Amino acid sequence: MFRNHLKTAWRNLINKKFYSAINIIGLTIGLAVGILILLWVQDELSFDRFNSKVSQIYKVNASIGSGVSKQVWGGVPAPVAVYALKEVPGIVNAVRVITSYDYSVFKYNDKILKEDYGKLSYVDDSFFKVFDYKLLKGNINIPFPNDQSVIITESTAKRYFGDANPIGKTITGDSKDPFVVSGVLADFPANSSISGNMLFSINQKKKQYNGKGYWKAMDEDWGNYYTSTFLQVRNDASTRAIGDKLTKIHFEHQKGIKPTDGIFQLQPLKDIHLYNPDGSSAGVQIVKVFSIVAILILLIACINYINLSTARAMLRSKEVSVRKIIGAERKHLFMQFIIETLLCFAVALLLAFGLIYAVMPFYNGIAGKQMQFNLFDVKVWQVIALTVITTLIASSIYPALLLSSFKPINALKGKISGTGNATFRKVLVVCQFAFSIGLIVGTIIINRQLNYIQQKQLGYDRSYVFSLQLHGMQDHYEAIKADLLNHPEITGVTTGDGNIVSSGSTTSDTDWDGKDPNMSFLIHPYGVDKDFINMFKIKFTSGNNFTGSKSDTAHWILNETAVRLAGIKNPVGKRFKFHDTNGIIIGVVKDFHFASLKQAIEPAIFNFRPTTWQMFIKTTGKDSPMAIKTVEKLWKQYNATYPFEYKFLDDDYNELYHSEQNTASLFDVFAGIAIFISCLGLFGLATYTAQVKIKEIGIRKVLGASVANITAMLSKDFLVLVFIAILIASPIAWYAMNKWLQNYVYRTELSWWTLAIAGLAAVLIAFITISFQAIKAAIANPVKSLKNE
Amino acid sequence: MAGMMQEAPMIKITNLEKFYRTEEVETIALNKLSIEIATGEFVAIMGPSGCGKSTLLNILGMLDDPDAGSYVFNDIEVAHFTERKRADLRKHNIGFVFQSFNLIDELTVFENVELPLIYTGVASAERVKRVEEVLDKMQIMHRRNHYPQQLSGGQQQRVAIARAVVNKPKLILADEPTGNLDSSNGNDVMELLTDLNEQGTTIIMVTHSEHDARYSHRIIRLLDGQSVMENIMV
Ligand SMILES: Nc1ncnc2c1ncn2[C@@H]1O[C@H](COP(=O)(O)OP(=O)(O)OP(=O)(O)O)[C@@H](O)[C@H]1O
Ligand SMILES: [Mg+2]
Repeated sequence: MFRNHLKTAWRNLINKKFYSAINIIGLTIGLAVGILILLWVQDELSFDRFNSKVSQIYKVNASIGSGVSKQVWGGVPAPVAVYALKEVPGIVNAVRVITSYDYSVFKYNDKILKEDYGKLSYVDDSFFKVFDYKLLKGNINIPFPNDQSVIITESTAKRYFGDANPIGKTITGDSKDPFVVSGVLADFPANSSISGNMLFSINQKKKQYNGKGYWKAMDEDWGNYYTSTFLQVRNDASTRAIGDKLTKIHFEHQKGIKPTDGIFQLQPLKDIHLYNPDGSSAGVQIVKVFSIVAILILLIACINYINLSTARAMLRSKEVSVRKIIGAERKHLFMQFIIETLLCFAVALLLAFGLIYAVMPFYNGIAGKQMQFNLFDVKVWQVIALTVITTLIASSIYPALLLSSFKPINALKGKISGTGNATFRKVLVVCQFAFSIGLIVGTIIINRQLNYIQQKQLGYDRSYVFSLQLHGMQDHYEAIKADLLNHPEITGVTTGDGNIVSSGSTTSDTDWDGKDPNMSFLIHPYGVDKDFINMFKIKFTSGNNFTGSKSDTAHWILNETAVRLAGIKNPVGKRFKFHDTNGIIIGVVKDFHFASLKQAIEPAIFNFRPTTWQMFIKTTGKDSPMAIKTVEKLWKQYNATYPFEYKFLDDDYNELYHSEQNTASLFDVFAGIAIFISCLGLFGLATYTAQVKIKEIGIRKVLGASVANITAMLSKDFLVLVFIAILIASPIAWYAMNKWLQNYVYRTELSWWTLAIAGLAAVLIAFITISFQAIKAAIANPVKSLKNE
Repeated sequence: MAGMMQEAPMIKITNLEKFYRTEEVETIALNKLSIEIATGEFVAIMGPSGCGKSTLLNILGMLDDPDAGSYVFNDIEVAHFTERKRADLRKHNIGFVFQSFNLIDELTVFENVELPLIYTGVASAERVKRVEEVLDKMQIMHRRNHYPQQLSGGQQQRVAIARAVVNKPKLILADEPTGNLDSSNGNDVMELLTDLNEQGTTIIMVTHSEHDARYSHRIIRLLDGQSVMENIMV
């Protein structure tokens, strides 16, 4: 029986080449895209879950401030881990991970290699026991035999030592500090939130406290929030109680701290990739949106299959009747059609595999991931099975039921009127186009918002500015600046300790007359020289810029928001205390965006620093290559041991919206595919209609109908469906996109013409698709079609 | 064999009625029709177009159900049978031959004939044996791997007959089996049916041709859904 079904199914596939092709192309693309998206979703959801103790591991976050200025930070003071182990019940282990910015190059023999920012960390010894990161070489109990030990990843080892055994080899950081390799770590998995190239003993960090500063030792420093602290807790422990206990310990050790500051909360390790410390999440939202898009695309592909197979059921009613008359039971026919669908899916799936393999590199490129499509991976099969089984069920049951339910006697007489299930088909076509239109609207709005971000007046001018670290040049900054400014291709040079594109730090260490003692006031500090504000064309609303004189060290320039939130009237000349320095406000600048447009502008303060670790150089569009050469020459003079590196602020800016850009490109592609598959289905249906109506068309032509009449007759019904789809999709898309835009404090307008364009596009595309068949049918010779009957 | 009605008839219909309702018109296709047909008979049904011949045949073949009246098939009342039960009775007892052959285009001659055996669950080896046997008898063995479109009308009808008899049905229903054939091919088909009848199969055939009707034992003439005359052939 099965063989017979398969044989019939195969011949059907081969004989009806046109419909088979449409079905298979639609399914192939649908399945491929569905699987690709779900792989992405799976990858997003898999972060950090490779850790066998993932359910016991929590990251400690700190909540600071209250009300509008409340922030939750991912970094906490270093003693948190120490006291957690010592005094908090329920803690099994604790690990601190502190990103190191202390070295940027390492030397081995003659080889000098650069290590990117953020790829070096100080970690506690427990790192290797709490997490599952695998030590390939080295001793898990004594990972760092002494403070000068370093553990490097496998690929880092390869870069420095090739195939030689790295253990015991010495590398020198920034040509001053030697480290001996004591272990080799398997490379961090791509879906690990913690990653890097080198791990150092946390004792190295401890040494930086020489006992002279305000904080005598690292493990007593409650004032700096910079360690990523992970706690392994007992299964029965209450994370809330642990957080409260840690907060209490904090208050005991740092007298005078505000009750709203330094409140600790535990966040599960499995959440840290998708959720920000404050619980908000862009990640989860994208995962949800993409899951929905995947489902929509698969649905569209299923609908194609259902529509074409039920439409064609009319043409197959004779076959079904004959089979019934000679003894087929309903279950036989049901199985036969299920097997036909299975076969179609099997072919489509094979092709989809090929397609996925082919596009995986591009896909990874757009998605910014390193996903693997490995058919030997159980996880990949989970995704495939989920996708295929659900789509298979969705697209097979109804047509099979419909076809197997024909009354043989009616079908033989050709009395299967299509009307009943034609309505159903129409509903499905409307759904399909509603999905597509929704995706078009989404695409337009996402792209408009990204455009808005690109073109938004940020209140400062970052064009043609690049930044670099000064290193050895810092001591000669004034001379170097003068030298550079002599070059015509360089129009500005300044120094500052923060990046104007995205400020990295805030402080609450401020005071002014009339400050409410219970108020939490966080301000972003910028230590800059006298040219910074002018070079970036930040505008003053009152007061003046730094002059570069000695007295500037006690002068502050605030932004409007800082003045407003602090509640200082006529600020210029007023007292303001910043860290330990009591000074006066000499100027106020207009607000400018120094963070993502998702955030409202926060307070900022400029203080005067004649030199810092970082230099900004402004050039012009056509002169920038020359400017870079000029700077490089100087660099070589002072920083021979460092590779020359610079970065344009435009790139920094774009990185802020990296995930949005990725999302947008993926969305563009998905929307395009959804529309393509929908049109494929429409094309199939239009062909079918033309085929069924071929006699009617012939008669009408003989009676004098024009090509336009007939095209209109054939297109009208479909276009009505597309219009209904527009009516349904518009409000839903509008609502959804409005919600998405709420993520941005600064956002583009939602305008009615967005919907109009999406609708028009859908109508146009649908019309082109249909009219192709309609015109073909209309210009066919009527004599031929009539004779065929 | 005619007239030998010592045992219960194979088919006994009494006051059978069938209506077709379309919006406003109600057509009475069969009007209180009563007929008996004995096992082994060869009956021809004749009458003008639209008098209800096909309707009757479809009800006899259990493809359709009557609106009123009784239909006893081999001592079983089937008038109120569910579709499923009718299908079951049908596939073991009745073979059909149509004017337009109704072969499945995607299947070869062999596969078309094999299909009823598959649906009744006959084992594969047995199927091959029986299909070859019938094809041999119908003299189309040499065409076994051809598709219907590659055959002439006469050959197609022989395949259709082969398919109708392969399950060894007790009853064959033929609706204008020669309607689409020339006279020579038509005669061949009639010879085949006569052979089958002589081997014991009951045959009921709708025809417009007096020539074909002469192959039967008895002619039932219908007019407006009622039996008006029966001719016994001698
Ligand atoms: N599905 C149907 N719906 C409505 N009326 C029908 C239907 N099928 C048959 N009829 C009507 O019932 C009557 C009997 O039809 P039937 O097909 O049995 O005639 P017939 O004797 O086989 O005619 P012919 O010799 O032309 O094949 C006719 O008047 C026909 O119009
Ligand atoms: Mg008829």
